[in-house]
Amino acid sequence: MALILLLTQQMCLYLVIVYLFSKTPLFKMFAETSTRLPHKVFIYVVFSGFCIMATYFGEQTTGAIANTRAMGAVLGGLLGGPVTGFFIGLTGGLHRYSLGGFTDLACAISTTLEGLSAGMVSYYLKRSGNLELIFNPLLVFLVTFCAELMQMSIILLVAKPFDHSFELVSEIAMPMLLVNAIGAALFMSMILDQKTMFDKLSSAFSTKALKIAERSVGLLSKGFNQQSTSKVAQIIIEETQVGAVAITDREKLLAFIGIGDDHHIPNTPISSQITLDAIAQNKVMFADGVESSYCCSIDHKNCRLGSSLVIPLRSDNEVIGTIKLYEPKNKLFLNINRTLGEGIAKLLSNQILFGRYEQQQNLLTQSELKLLQAQVNPHFLFNALNTISAIIKRDPQMAKQLLQQLSQFLRINLKRTTGLVSLSDELEHIDAYLAIERARFIDKLQLDIDIPASLHHYRLPAFTLQPIIENAVKHGTSHLIEQGIISVTAYVTDDELVLKVTDNAGLYNPPERSEGLGMNIVHKRIQNQFGEQYGVKVDCKQDKVTCVSIHLPYSGDKP
Amino acid sequence: MISCLIIDDEPFARQQLADLLATETDFNIIEECSNAIDGLHAINKHQPQVIFLDIQMPRITGIELVGMLNPQKMPRVVFVTAFDEYAVKAFDNNAFDYLLKPIEENRFKRTIDKVRNDLAPQAIETIAPEQIEHLPCYCGNKLKVVATEDVEYIFSDVGGIHVNATNSYCHTQLTLKVLEEKTPLVRCHK
Repeated sequence: MALILLLTQQMCLYLVIVYLFSKTPLFKMFAETSTRLPHKVFIYVVFSGFCIMATYFGEQTTGAIANTRAMGAVLGGLLGGPVTGFFIGLTGGLHRYSLGGFTDLACAISTTLEGLSAGMVSYYLKRSGNLELIFNPLLVFLVTFCAELMQMSIILLVAKPFDHSFELVSEIAMPMLLVNAIGAALFMSMILDQKTMFDKLSSAFSTKALKIAERSVGLLSKGFNQQSTSKVAQIIIEETQVGAVAITDREKLLAFIGIGDDHHIPNTPISSQITLDAIAQNKVMFADGVESSYCCSIDHKNCRLGSSLVIPLRSDNEVIGTIKLYEPKNKLFLNINRTLGEGIAKLLSNQILFGRYEQQQNLLTQSELKLLQAQVNPHFLFNALNTISAIIKRDPQMAKQLLQQLSQFLRINLKRTTGLVSLSDELEHIDAYLAIERARFIDKLQLDIDIPASLHHYRLPAFTLQPIIENAVKHGTSHLIEQGIISVTAYVTDDELVLKVTDNAGLYNPPERSEGLGMNIVHKRIQNQFGEQYGVKVDCKQDKVTCVSIHLPYSGDKP
Repeated sequence: MISCLIIDDEPFARQQLADLLATETDFNIIEECSNAIDGLHAINKHQPQVIFLDIQMPRITGIELVGMLNPQKMPRVVFVTAFDEYAVKAFDNNAFDYLLKPIEENRFKRTIDKVRNDLAPQAIETIAPEQIEHLPCYCGNKLKVVATEDVEYIFSDVGGIHVNATNSYCHTQLTLKVLEEKTPLVRCHK
C-alpha cells in the first residue's frame, strides 16, 4: 500500500512537469502523431528522458526498483511508432541495466519490449485507419496495463533466483500496474485536452475568416469606392466585434464604422501618421496603445479609441489604400483580430485585383467585338463591288439595288452597338448580307430562313447570328461545286432559345483555322453575358452537313 | 486569233470579263468555266493560249489549278482576284499578269497588250504548290474532289485516267506525268 502511495507521488511529480510543459508551444508536438524524422527524434529524446527520470525516482525495494518507467516507454511508442518506441525502450532499458540489481537484465528487456509493443499497437491502428484512438485515455490505460503485465512475466522468467523474483513481483505488481496505467492515461488525456482546445480555437478562427470572406465576396470587385467599402467595413465590424473599422484609399477616408464615427468622417483626407506610414512603407502598422501609443489625430481628447492596426491593401504590389481596425482605450487589441485583420486585407486585395482583371476582360471582349465589326471581309467587299460593276451596264436597276444593300450592310456594321438588339434587327442585317451573296452566286446559293414571327422581338447581343451565317457561306457553301443550301431555324426549349444555322457543305474544321475568330468571339460573348451553359455548339458531318447552334437564355414571359 | 478561257465561279464576274474581251477583236473566248475542275478539263481539251483565272474558287483555287497543268502545254495565265494580299504580292514579285476586281479598263488593256506581244507562258513553279493535295475528278457527270492521301491507285487506259480511292472510283483530267511529279504516287509501269 505504501508503495502505491509512493509511486503515485512519483506519478504526480511527472504530471506536474507535463502540465508545465503543456504551457509551452513544444507541447503541440505531442498532439499529433509523428511522421517525420525530426519529430520522431524529439519524441525519442523527451520520452527517453522520462524513462531515465522514472528509474532515478523509483523506489528501492528488495534489491529492485519499483518505478514508472513503463509510462515513458509506452507513450513514446504510441506517439512515435515501433522504431521510435523500440529505441526509447532500449535507452531506458540500458540505463536501468547500468544501475545493476538482480532484475537489471529483466527490466532492460521488458522496457525495450514495452516501447516496441506500444509502437506496434500504434502502427496497427494507423494501418487500420483508427490512428485517432491512440489519444483515447482508456486505450492507453489498457496498453500500459498489458505492457506492465508483460514486464512482470519477464521478471519472473528472467530474473534469478525465482523465489526471489516471485517475492518481488508479488510486492510491486499491483502498484506498478495501476500507477503506470493511470499515469499514462492521465498524460494522454492532458494531450487530448490541449488538442481539443487548439482545434476549437482554430475552427472558431477559420469560421470567422470564412464568414467574412463569404459575406464580402464580390463587393469590391465592382469598384473600390465609398459605397462598396462601407459595406465591407460593416461586415468586418459585425464579424470581428472590434471597436471600429475604417477603410481608406491613398488620400482619403472612404468608410468608417464604429466608435468615433462622429468625428471620423468619410471623404476627408487621411490625418493619422501611422496610416500615412503604412501607405508609404507598404507595411502593417500596429499601435497597441501601451508600448507604442495611439492617439486619435482628429480629436485626441474625446476620442475613445486607444489602439489601432493599419494594414495596406495591395493590388499588384502597389498600395491602393489601407484597412484599419480599432479598439477603444478600455479594451485590449486581441491577437486573433490582428491576424484576422491581415487575412482580411489579403482577401480584399485579391478581390480588388480580381475586379480589375474582370474589367479588363470585359474591355477585351468589347474591343474584340469592335474588331469583328471592323472585320468586314475584304474579299466579300471587293467581290460585291465587282458584281455591281459587272452588271451596271446591263441592269442598272439591279446594280442600284445592290449598292443600296451593300451600303445598308456597311451602315449596320458600323453603327451596331455592343448591346442587345432584337432578332428582327439581326435578320435585317443578315438579309442585307445575303442579298449580295445571292447576287454573286445567283442560283448557286439557296437560303431558307424559318423563324417564327413570335420570336422576332427576342433581344440578343448584336452580331450573334450574322457572323455565323457569314461563316457558313465563306467556309461552307462557297466551296461547294453544286448548289449551297443554308437554313436558319429557331426554336424554344424549356428555358433556351436555340438558333440553328445548317449548311450542306460539311467543311467545318475545328482547330487552328483562323476563321474560328468570328465564331469564338460570338461564343465567348454569349458565355460572358449569360453564363457557361449557353454559347455556340458545332456539329459537323464531314462533307455532308455543318450545323451550328446558338444557345441563348429564354424566359417564358417573352412572346 | 488568240484563244482564251475564263475560269471564275461568279457568273457576273465571268460576264464582265467576257464583255471586256468582246471589245478586243483578236481574242476569242472558247469556253467559260465556273470551277477549277471544269477549267482543267477545258484546258486539256482546247489547249487555249491564254486563261483568265480567278483565285478564290470552290475546293481548288486558281493557284492550285496551275500547279496541276502539264508544264509543256502551259497556257499564258492571267490571274483575276478581288482581294488576296499574299497572292498579289507573289504576282508582283514574279512578274505575273493579274487583274484586280472590280477590273479597271485601262489596266485590262495594258494586260491584254502585254499578253498579245508575248504569248509565252511564265514559269509557274515560283507560285504554284509543289504537291497536289486534292485531285479534281468526275464521277459520272458529277464533280468530285479526292484527297491525294485517299487514293489507292491510278491507272490509264483508252478511256482516260482512272482513280481508285478509298470510297470512290472516278476519272481525272490530270495527266500521269503530273501525278507522278506532284503526288507521292509511284509509277510502276511505263
